[in-house]
Amino acid sequence: MTAIDPGSDTRHSLDPRAARNLATTTKTCPQMQGISSRWLLKMLPWVSVSGGTYRVNRRLSYAVGDGRVSFTNIGEDVRVVPPELAELPPLRGFDDESVLSALADRCEQRQVRAGEVIVEFGQPITEVLLIAHGKVAKSGAGAYDGQTALGMLTDGDHAGAQALADSDCLWEFTATATTPVTFLALPVAAFEQVRAQSTALAEQLEQYRNNPNLPQNKHGEAEIALASGHDGEPDLPSTFVDYEAAPREYSLSVAQTVLRVHSRVADLYSDPMDQVEQQLRLTVEALREREEHELVNNSDFGLLHNVDLKQRLQTRAGPPTPDDLDELLTRRRKTRFFLAHPRTIAAFGQECTRRGIYPPPATVDGSTVQAWRGVPILPCNKIPISANNTTSILAMRVGEEDQGVIGLRPAAVPDEYQPGLSVRFIGIDAKALISYLVSAYHSAAVLVPDALGVLENIELGR
Amino acid sequence: MQGISSRWLLRNLPWVEVSGGTYRVNRRLSYEVGDGRVSFTNVGAEIRVIPRELGELPLFRGLDDDEVLSALADRFEQQEYQPGDVITAFGQLSDQAILIAHGKVNKIGTGRYGDETVLGVLADGDHFGDDSLTDPQSLWEFTTRALTACTILVLSQQSFDEVLSQSAELREQLEQFRANAGQARDEHGEATIDLAAGHDGEPDLPGTYVDYDAQPREYSLSVAQTVLRVHSRVADLYNDPMDQVEQQLRLTVEALKERQEHELVNNREFGLLHNADLKQRIHTRSGPPTPDDFDELLALVWKEPGFFLAHPRTIAAFGRECTRRGVYPTSVDVNGNQAPAWRGVPIFPCGKIPVSESNTSSVMLMRTGEDSQGVIGLHQTGIPDEYQPSVSVRFMGIDEKALISYLVSAYYSCAVLVPDALAILENAEIGREG
Repeated sequence: MTAIDPGSDTRHSLDPRAARNLATTTKTCPQMQGISSRWLLKMLPWVSVSGGTYRVNRRLSYAVGDGRVSFTNIGEDVRVVPPELAELPPLRGFDDESVLSALADRCEQRQVRAGEVIVEFGQPITEVLLIAHGKVAKSGAGAYDGQTALGMLTDGDHAGAQALADSDCLWEFTATATTPVTFLALPVAAFEQVRAQSTALAEQLEQYRNNPNLPQNKHGEAEIALASGHDGEPDLPSTFVDYEAAPREYSLSVAQTVLRVHSRVADLYSDPMDQVEQQLRLTVEALREREEHELVNNSDFGLLHNVDLKQRLQTRAGPPTPDDLDELLTRRRKTRFFLAHPRTIAAFGQECTRRGIYPPPATVDGSTVQAWRGVPILPCNKIPISANNTTSILAMRVGEEDQGVIGLRPAAVPDEYQPGLSVRFIGIDAKALISYLVSAYHSAAVLVPDALGVLENIELGR
Repeated sequence: MQGISSRWLLRNLPWVEVSGGTYRVNRRLSYEVGDGRVSFTNVGAEIRVIPRELGELPLFRGLDDDEVLSALADRFEQQEYQPGDVITAFGQLSDQAILIAHGKVNKIGTGRYGDETVLGVLADGDHFGDDSLTDPQSLWEFTTRALTACTILVLSQQSFDEVLSQSAELREQLEQFRANAGQARDEHGEATIDLAAGHDGEPDLPGTYVDYDAQPREYSLSVAQTVLRVHSRVADLYNDPMDQVEQQLRLTVEALKERQEHELVNNREFGLLHNADLKQRIHTRSGPPTPDDFDELLALVWKEPGFFLAHPRTIAAFGRECTRRGVYPTSVDVNGNQAPAWRGVPIFPCGKIPVSESNTSSVMLMRTGEDSQGVIGLHQTGIPDEYQPSVSVRFMGIDEKALISYLVSAYYSCAVLVPDALAILENAEIGREG
């Protein structure tokens, strides 16, 4: 018999650790850190696409896309990519490589410090500016003296291209660098030299000048002629609504993987949790996360890459301020929500606090989120933050009725597991591995350009 | 009884039923070795790192040769910096491991337009540069600058190489570290689930499976117990209008519940203050708990944050900081009570969060619930002689002195299901005026 000595450390009864071996352990299903709230997937209205392709028909538009120019740099030397010069309106559609290279060679690289004036209002345009890096504020003369802000130029933007076609143009704004700016200047005189040597270029400009200005509204759409406020009996205009002849088509993109489970695991270890189901659950979670990532970042249909250039705004100072979000809000009707990285939301909150304001939070689907002017700011960690701590905020109107942003999913897929996601049994191989093909089909479309806006180059860590 | 508090933590934690006394948190396999804080000893002004604590550095994790660790600890050199001093400069050769013994350090990167951007704040017990010891040619990717007066310990590449050349074990450890670093992982350090997305044509699809942690953490229910004694004469005679035993019991249970909340916050094993991941711990920017710090916390627990938990004095200090900035956060209604809130997330008072002698405290922010992979409380209902959920009162007997004894036990624990469910703001100075 064991003598019981109350003072000693020896146990007098069964240790709980030993007892545990007899008891059932309550257990969780496998936890995964990567699962996020996926607000974008929750908030996008999903439109069923039967047939794999979604065509967005629009009114005929005459506005030529005013694209950004790209640059290459070797060390400190910046050079414009020659074919990218065709983004300048007078050179649109021009594809003579040697001439464009000649033009690219004649660009002069300059650098200015923050606060320096680059061009002065009312001066003749002697050179075309291509901003390689930095931010430039445009300001014009206000109605009662003073100055009025006309917007920002940033990486890839250009100014003064109209001088290539008409050498008597004047600058309509003053451009001031707000950060250190590197830009390329193409002197109009140098351009004239190249033009004198190339008949193709001369023809291109001739064509540009003679291009008849078709009647269009402020969005560049072919005009629907109307008469209003008339007296008497004038001839009423007759009209028709023209459509774009080659509308954009979105085909559904896919995220796929082959999930393998050994038949021994599937057969034996399925109590209390079904092993295959748990493997599938986590794989599906990973696919859904990837789906959201693709909707934001895919270079073809991703929202960050499908923002119209006119809807791309720059921050005024650097951090995301209430002023910037106001600017972003005015660009469209019915903004349903902002989408920002959680760190951007924190930075925005800090800017609000600095100004002594506390925007009341909003409730979305039972969750409390930060809001600005009543529009919720939803967190999304798929929006990238660059190595130098800059990021973006998206703002969008959603829904097919409102001509907003919509998500696209197939109407029905065989072996559907969740909407737009199928799990198909592939077979069992010679190693007794059971394979399932897990596929998620998705895409997103912006129905009219003003449905989606982005605030770019937001600096965090200030 | 004055000790009864509102026990917001106990009220707001979702309690999960544990049958069998043990709760296992299964997770996906993670290749990321936990990153811990290092502790120091000091004799006068001379500071030395505790050799065993070097195991908190990912590079030395699992290395248990005391001789090697002591040899490494001996080679650390102590340096002092004044506020504003640059400790390491961007682009310089990174040939040091640095431990911060005391003070705050700003991590600074290069901004988009050539200016500076703050990447984070490091403080007491943090370390950086240790992983660069594996690669003698690596460069600093950030600048570090002292925010306050700092005492740091530096291990140079040369000293590290000296120890490395003498110890086969350290070389093996280094190999293993490099091999581990090469494993495919996602941003959370979990083994990747291979996917193909956005592909055209007929590429080979990746085959995949989801790997689990082979040794998941298990939480056993902890216990708070006492033996309540009532003299039979008291129990028999003095029962009108109040039952003596019942009152004794009620107060004892209240005390047990208070202790339970204290343990949930402070227990070294499962207490919330000790179970936050290092990446989820931040320091105040200036000292007092400011709205900016609370915004940073919300950025860490951004997936459906549940509530803040802070000492009442910390809440008062936070209120002062709000007032100083001219913001008045609206309060929210929680079960009929008006609770102060920040960005719509309620801030609950909890007197169990310790306030240190130098008047610093912590603020916690957590997501709760099993379904949302948050923080949960663990208990077991249906125990013998249950008095309240997971509290039992058992009659022990009457002894020869006529004392009636009851054994009162409460069983509880809590678990953080994934690391990003809990974040802590540390070193909030609550006595700062003006």
